[in-house]
Amino acid sequence: MCPQPIIQFRRVSKVYHKGGADIHPLDEITLTIQEGDFVALMGPSGSGKTTLLNLLGGLDTPTSGEVIVCGQDLAALSSHERARWRCDHVAYVFQAYNLLPVLTAYQNVELPLTLMPLSRRQRREHALKALEIVGLSDRVHHRPDELSGGQEQRVAIARALASDPDLLLADEPTGDLDAHSAQEIMSLLIALNRDYGKTIIVVTHDPKVAHAAHRELHLEKGVLSRDVDMKNQRM
Amino acid sequence: MRLLLLNLLRKPLRTLLTVFGVGVALFLFCFLEIVLAAFNAGVNMADASRLVVQHKESIIFELPMAYRSLIEQAEGVTGVTTASWFGGLSQEPLADGEKREEFFAQFATDIERYLSLYPEIKVPPDQLRNLLSDRMGCLLGVKIAERLNKKVGDRLVLRSTIWTQKNGSTIWEFNVRALYTTDSPTFDQTMMLIHDKRFDEARQFGQGSVGLYILGITDPERSAEISAAIDARFANSPYETRTMTEKAFNLQFVGMIGNFQFLLRSIGSAVVLTMLLVSANTMMMSARERTREMGILKAIGFTDGHVFLLLIGEALAISLLGALAGVGLAWLLANALHYNPKPDFFPIFYLPGQSMLAAVGLAALTGLLSGIVPATAGMRLSATESLRSV
Repeated sequence: MCPQPIIQFRRVSKVYHKGGADIHPLDEITLTIQEGDFVALMGPSGSGKTTLLNLLGGLDTPTSGEVIVCGQDLAALSSHERARWRCDHVAYVFQAYNLLPVLTAYQNVELPLTLMPLSRRQRREHALKALEIVGLSDRVHHRPDELSGGQEQRVAIARALASDPDLLLADEPTGDLDAHSAQEIMSLLIALNRDYGKTIIVVTHDPKVAHAAHRELHLEKGVLSRDVDMKNQRM
Repeated sequence: MRLLLLNLLRKPLRTLLTVFGVGVALFLFCFLEIVLAAFNAGVNMADASRLVVQHKESIIFELPMAYRSLIEQAEGVTGVTTASWFGGLSQEPLADGEKREEFFAQFATDIERYLSLYPEIKVPPDQLRNLLSDRMGCLLGVKIAERLNKKVGDRLVLRSTIWTQKNGSTIWEFNVRALYTTDSPTFDQTMMLIHDKRFDEARQFGQGSVGLYILGITDPERSAEISAAIDARFANSPYETRTMTEKAFNLQFVGMIGNFQFLLRSIGSAVVLTMLLVSANTMMMSARERTREMGILKAIGFTDGHVFLLLIGEALAISLLGALAGVGLAWLLANALHYNPKPDFFPIFYLPGQSMLAAVGLAALTGLLSGIVPATAGMRLSATESLRSV
């Protein structure tokens, strides 16, 4: 369990130096997200969605401000400490699935568990359980190139679930999928949030995906332009 | 570890070819080491407690046999024997059935004294008794006996390229009375010893002289002092001497080959280095292709150190597999199958342990050098950057 709120952004800015110019993908963002929330992060390309997601997962550090996730100020950690912290608290689901092609579905799911103090038997139990949750118990020994796009994304979700993270970050998880597979993945994410209480942040362009969330955050030019509570709207 | 192994199997043909490249390079390295060790075999079999006395001007000039008792009197000397080069060629069908003149080392010596100075030489006691009681007898190393297809009791005919018998013949006959072995991997097992008394009496010229003296000393640290004392004893005589350690004596012969060893080592090293560079480049390419995967690993919690170890581990594994193949093949060929392309030229042909270690070290160094660049780059790579790469 993480202390509430699970995510706190305090006047977070990020500046990149590229081609001699300063780029501001995020500018003075302040927001809080509670544990168990399902948040859709929307906005046009270049609005700072992925940068915000990277800051949340400790893959990047802010230029200024504080990013506090699960009670930890991520900017205060070294690269090595952030990697360990990520392993314990966060899991990613990417648009391009990002499975390792040399590993089977089971081995991909088991991979983050090898960083944890678990026995081989425990790792096996966790990995098989995660694959069962995403409905791929019959594809355990298949390699990514033997799976459909939807199945690959489900393996990626199983990999994210296996380590029982506090926070699941998904960067356009349905972006590369057909409508049917996209619907399946969204149903899966909704179930994970509803049945397992996982806090989920999804970057998406798809309004249908966003509607499944409890809350919609809209970014424009690095600024939080809209924060919509979808639960109240549905009522 | 599993990821490392699976990465190696990702493109099996490329991995196999890279391992093969490293393996061939290290096989060449080992073979070169074998040849160089063969050149230096005499130096390696030398013992610090033995000195050699030769004519001051050159080894081709003889010394008086009367010097023996004088050398024996020198302080610190434990024993003295003589050795005269016989220079014979075998005249009989060899083990392969072909009849050709075979060259190998033969010395006329006081065999009993010689053996007391060379404890490395092992002769069965009954054979030794027979050898010492037969003036026509000879002692053969087991390897030359095998090559000449000779066993104890056989007759051996040599044609000397130097010594003519009193009857005008250059053909000398001997009885094979004993075969010697040795526990030392660097000791020559292709020598032949004959009795100096019979040799001296039968030869047409040179009676009362010997090629050189070999002596044992009590303290190897006093070799310079003892050598100087012996040479001083014969200074200003018609036969001045030059006394040196057995190693220095043997080094003279290596020196006669001149810069051939340097040439051989230079060419070999260039070939080996080129092959290792090609293999290293392949390993680096393989790592660069997987930039995105490094980002994935970091995103799921692998540290920079994990990524570094994974990449350097892959390069090391390929290099060491190559070493296993290359060094293993060279060892099998020279040490297990006793392959020798020119046994008359290389009496000792084996892969020394230190050369095997050097080859494995070279492989590890190649692995480290080829892995260090991509591994450091992978370690420093930002996860967000690498996930953006195609």
